[in-house]
Amino acid sequence: MKKTSINKISDLAAELLGKGTLVAPVKEDAGFNFREISNAGQVDLNFYNTLMSPKSAFFPQTEDFVRYDKNKSVLDAQCVDLNLKPVFLFGVRPCDAKSFQIMDIHFSGTGVVDPYWKKRREATTVFGYAFDINTPADGADFYSTLNIGAADPEGSDVFMMKRGDELLLKAVTPKGETLLASLTSLADASADEQKYFDDTVAAGRDFKTRFTCVDDKVIAKKLEDLFHKTEFWEKISDACLSCGACTFVCPTCYCFDICDETLFSKGVRRRVWDACMFTDFTLEASGHNPRTKVYQRLRQKICHKYSFHVRKYGVISCVGCGRCTRNCPVNIDIFSIVDEALKA
Amino acid sequence: MCSNNPYIPMPVEIIKIIDEVDTHDIKSFRLKFMNKEDEAKFKYLPGQFSELSIYGRGESPIGIASSPTEEGYVEFTVQRAGAIQPGLVTAALHDMDEGAKIGLRGPLGNSWPIEFLEKKNIVVVGGGFAFTTLRSLINYMLHKDNRSRFGEITVIYGARTPGLLLYKDELAAWEKRDDIKTIITVDKGDETWKGREGFVPAVCKDAAPSPNNAVAVICGPPVMIKFTLPVFFELGFSKENILTSLEMRMKCGIGKCGRCNVGYKYVCSDGPVFSLAELDELPRDF
Repeated sequence: MKKTSINKISDLAAELLGKGTLVAPVKEDAGFNFREISNAGQVDLNFYNTLMSPKSAFFPQTEDFVRYDKNKSVLDAQCVDLNLKPVFLFGVRPCDAKSFQIMDIHFSGTGVVDPYWKKRREATTVFGYAFDINTPADGADFYSTLNIGAADPEGSDVFMMKRGDELLLKAVTPKGETLLASLTSLADASADEQKYFDDTVAAGRDFKTRFTCVDDKVIAKKLEDLFHKTEFWEKISDACLSCGACTFVCPTCYCFDICDETLFSKGVRRRVWDACMFTDFTLEASGHNPRTKVYQRLRQKICHKYSFHVRKYGVISCVGCGRCTRNCPVNIDIFSIVDEALKA
Repeated sequence: MCSNNPYIPMPVEIIKIIDEVDTHDIKSFRLKFMNKEDEAKFKYLPGQFSELSIYGRGESPIGIASSPTEEGYVEFTVQRAGAIQPGLVTAALHDMDEGAKIGLRGPLGNSWPIEFLEKKNIVVVGGGFAFTTLRSLINYMLHKDNRSRFGEITVIYGARTPGLLLYKDELAAWEKRDDIKTIITVDKGDETWKGREGFVPAVCKDAAPSPNNAVAVICGPPVMIKFTLPVFFELGFSKENILTSLEMRMKCGIGKCGRCNVGYKYVCSDGPVFSLAELDELPRDF
């Protein structure tokens, strides 16, 4: 295990910058967001959580596939290559680190492997960062409902936590181990610090955010039974504007569109984030659309995360980060919906 | 990143265009791979589909209408789509000439379950334009190397008018064969039509195929499906032995983009072929 002083964090950042690309939370007007760091002094660990999830490190909002010219042959289209330096994703909260594992199952663990997700994952070392268990959780968070600890190292390659003015860093995976061993700006941690780290991980498991008891299979079955109870879905979606904000900030929403963007004759085929909350998401060329109503789309979102995903992949596709609740313009709260569903 | 990437289409050339119907809005496109290695890799079974890709327009998921027993090309029958707004890809495709080059990704999805169908009597029921992957299946089963693997084959195919029947030459050829029973019907004939008139469900009832050791493969417009299924239930077909193929809006075709789910199944990768028993397990959300 290693450590560094918080006020020397720019030394660590500088060392990581020397090895590759550093992506870390940066303070912006609206709050913190993960951004590529150009200046080691920018790294700031005094944040609660970022506005947007860190999923864009592996699943960017736009990913270019092919460049083409409409006036030229299909044979002249150029596939866009992905040349990545090693990436260090620094300061990921435990719930978000867990989201990467959930997304791995979908993008690279089953069926056809998504080459972009896989390549970006392989290039990246995740530095997890414990929530401060001595201050209360944000009112929207409910990761403890989903069995994620406030100082859970799972999903990280290196896990970090603050102790006073020090930052403790422990390798979780062999990839993290190799990296930590190569960093000269870090000092070795003492046995006492080691114990503090382990105690905090354990205490993080008992740290309570909002909490309701959810068993994966019970909630999956419950929502299956509720699927055709239209009045339930109409009630919970009454205020929904179908704006899709919840899906864009979500660390586990992976729906995307593939679209061609052409200017004059030159264009790019790329994938972009899409959302099941949009009316044209399921609109077929024939004019048929199975989800024309808001309740059908919100039902799809909730059931996907808490029922379909459990049936398909064996895990709930939500990590309780609270972003959808914090960012919903009409205060729709997924935690309350799940709670309601369990009681219904 | 650029080799074996499931999102990058393979280049194909349109070597033949067949105007299928008298309304001229359904055409078959015969495509030839421009790279030999792509052709060698493209191993498919009846019931699968592909994404047809035109840069600057987009991609459309289209069922494969040719049978894998037809060598040297792969064929798609495409309707010029657009009840609300023109289908970008299908309209562009319809405006193309032979010799044009487009992209293709596939084969995608599951297929008609060939092993399950072997040694059984097969009743193929099709309505209107939804006959493309059924044609693939029929031609596959009728191939000399395959015919003995299947029992009796009955085809019941209907369209609104004689001019809207697809694959007219093949239908005529099947009617002449004695190893396939072909029943063609139209909702309303014209002055030249000498065949049967009547809706598909009524014709199925008349034909009354036996459910013994039989599987019904049914594709058609929703209204046809709605009235045909009760006929087959009455005849004694179980839900396990009635198969159909679903459509949903699709983008990636490989189970990643999250668009075509019905419950926990993705139509693109878990389907498009499902038995009625499997569909019963899923929410009615399509």
